[in-house]
Amino acid sequence: MDITHEQISADLEKIFHETMGDWEYSGEITPETRLFADLGLESIDIVALGGNIEGHYRRNFPFAQWLAQMRDQQVDDIRVKDVVQFLHDNLNASSDGESQ
Amino acid sequence: MTNHVVLIGLDGGTFSTLDPLLDQGVMPFLKDFLASGVRGELTSVIPPLTPPGWTSLITGRSPGNHGIMDFFRFESPGSRYIRLVNSRDVRCETLWSIISRQGLKATVLNFPLMTPPRPISGYVVPGWAPWRYLRRLCFPQSLYEKIKTIPGFNLQELAMDLQLEGKAIEGTSKDEYEDWISFHIRREKQWFEILRYLMHEAPCELTAILFDGVDKLQHLLWPFIDPTYFPTHPSAWEQRIRELCLAYFRQLDGFIAEIVALAGPQASVFLASDHGFGPSTEVFYINAWLHREGYLEWASDAPTDSGEAGKLGLGTISRWAAMVGASHTTAYSLTPSSNGVHIAVAGRRGERGIEPHEYEPVRSRLVEQLYQFTDPSSGGQVVTRVWPREEAFPGKQMDWAPDLTLSIRDGGFVSILNSKVVLKPRPEVVGTHRPQGVFMAKGPGLRQGLALPALSIIDVAPTLLYCLDLPVPSDLEGRVAEQIFASAVLHQRPIRIGEPTSVPEAFPQGSESQEDKDGEAQVLERLKNLGYVE
Repeated sequence: MDITHEQISADLEKIFHETMGDWEYSGEITPETRLFADLGLESIDIVALGGNIEGHYRRNFPFAQWLAQMRDQQVDDIRVKDVVQFLHDNLNASSDGESQ
Repeated sequence: MTNHVVLIGLDGGTFSTLDPLLDQGVMPFLKDFLASGVRGELTSVIPPLTPPGWTSLITGRSPGNHGIMDFFRFESPGSRYIRLVNSRDVRCETLWSIISRQGLKATVLNFPLMTPPRPISGYVVPGWAPWRYLRRLCFPQSLYEKIKTIPGFNLQELAMDLQLEGKAIEGTSKDEYEDWISFHIRREKQWFEILRYLMHEAPCELTAILFDGVDKLQHLLWPFIDPTYFPTHPSAWEQRIRELCLAYFRQLDGFIAEIVALAGPQASVFLASDHGFGPSTEVFYINAWLHREGYLEWASDAPTDSGEAGKLGLGTISRWAAMVGASHTTAYSLTPSSNGVHIAVAGRRGERGIEPHEYEPVRSRLVEQLYQFTDPSSGGQVVTRVWPREEAFPGKQMDWAPDLTLSIRDGGFVSILNSKVVLKPRPEVVGTHRPQGVFMAKGPGLRQGLALPALSIIDVAPTLLYCLDLPVPSDLEGRVAEQIFASAVLHQRPIRIGEPTSVPEAFPQGSESQEDKDGEAQVLERLKNLGYVE
């Protein structure tokens, strides 16, 4: 059965809050929250977030490829809903080549 | 024989650095240790690099089998995008796991690729871990609560100080150099204090610690360590920097002495390094050369090296494929640390590249051209060795490897940046890796005062297993270094070959995989500061 956007959003919120203690961010996280502008992350922090997500789902995701594609599309920030969509696309696609 | 084995890792340890320090009285304990022990060079793997080197040492397997060939690997077999390697990528069983299965315990401190942690019988405080997550990356997690009670424990010193390391490379301030060395002196003490605590409170049959400041100091401060490059009439500042470097090694000698004393006379103590070291005086811009030879087409936004050790961060690494991956690119290098060249083959990683049937002739021509490349000013050959992947990385993991791996004449790492010139002298000499590391040992049943021919780094694991009176798994590629043992020992206790090792699970139960890439981000920053990531 496919995992829904709602389930992923809930998972992501949990992951954010598990890690937020180190970020010193106390605002609410919504689908529109921007990782760079609102949470104050730098590009290298996105890798850290990716690690948390992979640990939660116990599988690898093509984060580097995704970030490169975002750059090619000249996206200057990533919103929480973008992450949810990325995970939705990958979790509901074939897992070939993800977990080794 | 012995029921306690100690492995002291000296990251980048090399006799060309250590021998002068022994002669000058900087490391008196190690000098005595060697006088009554054995010593020899330890030949590293291809390429002589920290992740494949240590992984080979602690598995007894080669990179083509354990799968660690670089700091980075492709995200998946079909991807052109790369990420940092981690413990999930190690496809062979570690020494600690092997002995755990046979009822022994290990203490493992500061070794790379230990995160996410894998359950063993014993204790692991991983290396290359950021301080914010070290608590959750220790194994068992409760270990952190114990080590933080050690007097003087300083979490941030134990892990890393990214700002200080970054300044050491990017800046030239005299004050910053001193702070940087002093930081590493304090940091090694943090690791030593954890070791001392665990040797007292929870002794294990195998105790392993890695001191990685040896590598860092040599990378950044080679002209202050190598007498060949140190000025005959140094300034007061130059002399002070050298003295601080010597203070680092003097402290290290003291730690080795104390570890040997703590282990006791019945212990066998081994010192080993993952690779050696030497000077690097020039930069070979491999992708610029590939471009010149018609193999690589740069993307329009590909950066050009400013000539001032310009560095690019994570964004560049993740998008590098775009820079060198224009439609007409047929060969490219993705990481400076691998010294590797990938050939773009149609259908492999979604690249346009060459047709599969063209692979062999294109690769052969490329090898020939690499060998033919000469220094325009001197005419000297620059690329001294080119290994096809089946020679450098034979094994089940070979498909993750570059198609070609290079060795260049100054022993250094290539640059993957764009450059107007293909070969450029460095503005200042830096330290870089060499294949020949160090092996030293002393203990009951070991020969005394013996100088050995070079051993292979994959021989260390089976040798330690033999010392622990355990059978050597039949699938280890290394062999027990019989020549270091007294013949009576080998006669009384012949080497036993046992069952093969177990292939590790990618996501073992009980691991703390969620912290994995938290650490990756900071490790990447650290590599950038060391110059592996441009």
